[in-house]
Amino acid sequence: MIIVTGASKGLGRVICERLISKNFEVLGIARNPENLPFPSVRCDVSSYDDLKAVVQNLKRDKVRLDGLINAAGIASMNLAVTTPKNVSENIINTNLLGTIYSCQLFAPVMLRNKAGSIINFSTIAVALGLKGESIYAASKAGVEGFSRAFAREMADFNIKVNCIAPGPINTSLLKGITSKQIENIVAQQVIQKQFNPETVADLVEVLLDEKSHSLSGQVLHVGGV
Amino acid sequence: MEQKLKLKNEIFETIKNLAEDNTLLVDEETSLIGEAGLLDSMKLVELCLTLEDRASDIGFEFDWTSDSAMSKSRGMFRTAGALCNEFISQMEAKT
Repeated sequence: MIIVTGASKGLGRVICERLISKNFEVLGIARNPENLPFPSVRCDVSSYDDLKAVVQNLKRDKVRLDGLINAAGIASMNLAVTTPKNVSENIINTNLLGTIYSCQLFAPVMLRNKAGSIINFSTIAVALGLKGESIYAASKAGVEGFSRAFAREMADFNIKVNCIAPGPINTSLLKGITSKQIENIVAQQVIQKQFNPETVADLVEVLLDEKSHSLSGQVLHVGGV
Repeated sequence: MEQKLKLKNEIFETIKNLAEDNTLLVDEETSLIGEAGLLDSMKLVELCLTLEDRASDIGFEFDWTSDSAMSKSRGMFRTAGALCNEFISQMEAKT
């Protein structure tokens, strides 16, 4: 089974649909999983207890977990000085703590098989230091640091941990960013093109595949930086 | 009482096997982690998974990630005795 957080929309949704089309068994995790056309469970990744309940069910059912994709994320494009405290906290809680909790709790299920792939999500905003994305970039820089160290902790157990860092992919996270800003970001990529969610799903497939067994602790920048 | 003693001995035996030293005497005070610890991180995880399986045989879920298990100055992994006590206390609470 592959677990995908943030499964109800954006990249998480596209990734779930792609993996299902490739015959993977997928369990989507979302705050609002109603009407999703694939198996899903209600869970807020910023809640350790919510995640723990999901893990307990997997253990009870003796599920073999082959992959964990932490795609849940929120953003608020604002200057740091005009970002309310509760918004900053929500971003850190969902993006950083949510990823950490998910890895902490799901990895023990994978340890049993001594195999698996964990994919976390960062952003090109970390590498480029994008104006107006300081809190978001801080949360994702944390995800990158965590992932690199966690990759070493998991290496003995043959579990890969990598990050995908997309540029301005066309999802709801781009709400509030002007086309001019998107052009400016794209211009800073090695491949100066706005990629779509399908490109990210392609990378997910690569990282889940056994052929990428030599890759761990890496941050893959979509479009390159 | 007899079951608890039997479980403790089972856990001590498991630790001994994981440490791959037949001459070793594992008792309540045997350190599992840290400078004098018997087990590296990989062996420690293997121990937890073995205990999960044993708990499942008995009919409860052994939670080695709970706050209470992890706290108390490096928690249940301090010594073999602390680990046994945590396992037995979870068993008693859940069965």
